[in-house]
Amino acid sequence: MHGSAAVAGIGESTYYKRGASPYTEFQVACIAIRGAVANAGLELADVDGLVSFMDQRNIPVRLARALGLRQLRWTGIPWGGGGNNMAAAMQIADAAVTAGYARHVVVFRALAQGQFGRFGQAGGSAGAGAAMAGPQAWNGTYGILTAAHQCALHTARFMHDHGISQEALCEIALACYANAQRNPRALRCGQPLTREAYHASRWVVKPFHVYDCCPENDGAAAAVVTTLERARDLRHRPATIVAAACGIGPQYGAFDRATLGSAHYRQVGIHLWEQAGCGPQDVDVAQFYENFTGPVLMALCEMGFASPDGVEEFVSRGRLIGPEATFPFNTSGGNLGEAYIHGFEMINEAVRQIRGDSTCQVEHVERALVVAGPGYAPGSAVLFGAAA
Amino acid sequence: MTRVLGERWALPSLDAHTRDFFTAGVLALQQCLRCHHVQHPPDDVCEACGSFELGRFVSAGNGRVESAAVVTQAVHPLLADRVPYAIVLVSVADAPGILIAGNVVGRDPETVAIGDRVRVVFEETRDPRTGDVLRIPQWQVVA
Repeated sequence: MHGSAAVAGIGESTYYKRGASPYTEFQVACIAIRGAVANAGLELADVDGLVSFMDQRNIPVRLARALGLRQLRWTGIPWGGGGNNMAAAMQIADAAVTAGYARHVVVFRALAQGQFGRFGQAGGSAGAGAAMAGPQAWNGTYGILTAAHQCALHTARFMHDHGISQEALCEIALACYANAQRNPRALRCGQPLTREAYHASRWVVKPFHVYDCCPENDGAAAAVVTTLERARDLRHRPATIVAAACGIGPQYGAFDRATLGSAHYRQVGIHLWEQAGCGPQDVDVAQFYENFTGPVLMALCEMGFASPDGVEEFVSRGRLIGPEATFPFNTSGGNLGEAYIHGFEMINEAVRQIRGDSTCQVEHVERALVVAGPGYAPGSAVLFGAAA
Repeated sequence: MTRVLGERWALPSLDAHTRDFFTAGVLALQQCLRCHHVQHPPDDVCEACGSFELGRFVSAGNGRVESAAVVTQAVHPLLADRVPYAIVLVSVADAPGILIAGNVVGRDPETVAIGDRVRVVFEETRDPRTGDVLRIPQWQVVA
């Protein structure tokens, strides 16, 4: 049944720096969802499913009222983690329309951190004098507080084992910033990054400079998933969901020796290519969620695009930059360059590549890959295809 | 021993899974009573055999740094005068397969490296809210 669902519409709010949205988080969610539905050529009354991921606060019953949805028949959110489940949300929508539980499912992500505080900051029980409870006890007691700290430990081991230099991390940042210069939606458009500026920038947690870490932004993005058959009748060329996969294991949450120095994408890669009936060599353009640059290198390897010992060469010498890149990568600028909407802006960019209207359009795109947040289990990925 | 992250830095909350590790004054890990597998962090079920019967394994505390990073930007005001500090993941010789997070005491954080041999030491402190005496495992580089 793979390939029987497709994205028919995409939408987003304007993207803002953290805390700069003039709208509430709920309002930007509504802007993105309305935009995606209109982009598909549908009415809000046609929407009968809502899916998101992570700790999405904008719950379906509230959205249904505000958007005038007549009958909500399917809601879902994948368990665990953060942006690592971004592509798993597309899997849930695919499953719903393929099984016939719903006909037009909107998948979305909205965040307004001025309103609700920061995701990437140590918060909650890390307050002065408060206790580190539950899983936080094992790491927070030692000042391992943020995703940057955890991903730095994985990255440091990966670099150590495979002789990877700081330049490899720099190349990921340079590519995202370079591609963002073509994209007027991108918050970093007009702010190109040089190798010198990268190396001169402050450290956050070694081996991550500030440019290795995605910014925190406000905004929302949404996509309408329906059956391929239905999508063919709508306004745009459908972006078929060829395959989607998520994977846990072998351990969840804790550091363990078997997965130290990995991005938790080994299983995701195996599952995705099995289902897709094709392989990495068949991908024309890829979006890799950069929470931090280092885990992208690991995810590139685990998804089958490079070997750990060859990944630095794979990403260097501008091989990721522009529409004619050896490996067209994060063509909208990604989390680093476009905006950090917990990666969902990458779903929209992959759909644009299939439609042929990206600001960094690769020629003859048949397959566009999105790999969600690396470094945490479960990881997830979704492969889009041009409908035959 | 004074705490690497300062006397006011947050303490672990003690519960069925954390109390032994953070108070025993030895490196107390969780071991399955049926199959003798050691797992960390502790849980209600043995990850190796599924048993609910879990007890204690005391490690000798001889370890190796498996990964290290240096936190340079304080993400909490209480850590502002504590950066840079090293964060490490340590494996111990008598319980291979697990990683224990920690800090390295008495050492320039920039010099802490993967492969360093380390030995467990304890930061003793009293939780002012509960009165519990904690002995927080930390790591010291050995020559």
